[in-house]
Amino acid sequence: MKKMVMAAVAALALAGFVGCDKAADDGREKFVVGFDADFPPYGFKDGKEYKGFDLDLAREVCARRGWTFVANPINWDAKDMELNSGSISCIWNGFTMQGREEGYTWSEAYVDGSQVVLVKAGSPVKTLKDLAGRKVGVQTDTPVQKELAGKGERKEVAALGKTFAGLVVMPNYNQAVMDLESGAVDAVALDVGVARQKMCDMPGKFEQLPEIVMTETYGIGFKKGNTALRDQVQATLKEMVRDGTVEKIAVAYKIEPKSIILKP
Amino acid sequence: MVLELLSGLLVSAEIFAFTLLLALPLGLLVALGRMSANPVVSQVFRLYISVVRGTPLMLQILFVYFAPYYLFGMSLARYPRLLATVLAFSMNYAAYFAEIYRGGILAVEAGQWEAAKALGLGRRLTFLRIVLPQMVKRVIPAVGNEVITLVKDTSLAFTIAVTEMFTLAKQLSSANTTMAPLVAAGVFYYVFNYLVAWAMERIERRFAYYR
Repeated sequence: MKKMVMAAVAALALAGFVGCDKAADDGREKFVVGFDADFPPYGFKDGKEYKGFDLDLAREVCARRGWTFVANPINWDAKDMELNSGSISCIWNGFTMQGREEGYTWSEAYVDGSQVVLVKAGSPVKTLKDLAGRKVGVQTDTPVQKELAGKGERKEVAALGKTFAGLVVMPNYNQAVMDLESGAVDAVALDVGVARQKMCDMPGKFEQLPEIVMTETYGIGFKKGNTALRDQVQATLKEMVRDGTVEKIAVAYKIEPKSIILKP
Repeated sequence: MVLELLSGLLVSAEIFAFTLLLALPLGLLVALGRMSANPVVSQVFRLYISVVRGTPLMLQILFVYFAPYYLFGMSLARYPRLLATVLAFSMNYAAYFAEIYRGGILAVEAGQWEAAKALGLGRRLTFLRIVLPQMVKRVIPAVGNEVITLVKDTSLAFTIAVTEMFTLAKQLSSANTTMAPLVAAGVFYYVFNYLVAWAMERIERRFAYYR
């Protein structure tokens, strides 16, 4: 009995700790992308691996640079600790720049992300005005949450937020959409790419309001001061804009090519 | 999907197994320290238990992983997340086990000590041969409680980006906009705990001699 337990423990040890080290020791430089895996189409779990618009871009950058690509899903609330301590190389995840300008060494903006509102199909809410007196879900630690709560800089968004019956803060978009589906909230404010993905997954369930709450731009966030890595990644990304790779990847994830704003 | 979840279950099982391996003996050490006749030693362990039980496990996991960088400026590139997770869990569970053990040791009647002394047994031998076995018999149900909680607590490992089963279930749920992975994860946890409870019951029966 004791021997069996010991054998099982030894097997687990081999599977676990040794397994982790293998990736670290192949001699090539590691490029660890920190991302929130609850964020399709930018980064999500697909079968065995993590993919998505941002992760595919990062994977291609690594391929061209000869780096080992590591997709590391992180706890979104601990992203700054992860980045500053060197556990991850960058945050690349539909990562909004507005309101975070000072916290990171940023790449140039590469995608334009609009924040839209999703309601249940057949909902009486047809415009942003109709949201008055309604409960609206948002994801935690996102700029749209900050602005709607009146803690940002955009007065018109804060004014819109004031008309709501309440802002319900969710740990991730999936949960926000579950709340919407079950009627716990009347609407969800979210990124247009995510909204489109949800409408594709559950056809006929949701409608998107025609107006946009606010627009923001997405960049790649590096540890403050790490301009060397930023410059390398950015140069390769620009090369990928030039040869059409970025557009190809965008189309594959139903992201509109015209929202790509990085100049080659 | 089931295959994916099983790979996550393996991570959860690793955290579970290593934590038990470290925390069960460590708990005894802490319990003995806490009951030490030396007031300094006793106070140190009392403080340890107090801090560990008085702060959230989630915070302790963050601390164990990030402290080397934030306190000493060491890079975390070669610090496995799983190792930090197991260390934090072990420190935490050892404190709870210690109090369970202490209760078990105190529950052994003073007459046992006296009888052993009358027979000429030393304190060390009395503890190892007379008191400890009786303590073990008494603490099994309480330890079982803690062990089952540990299975479910493994989901806290994602605090430092260890993707265990519950996190995988959430990710699969997000990627496909469906609740099915969460339900499946619930079933897996239940089966895991059913096995743990079954094992604890068997152990309890084995220790039921002299009853």
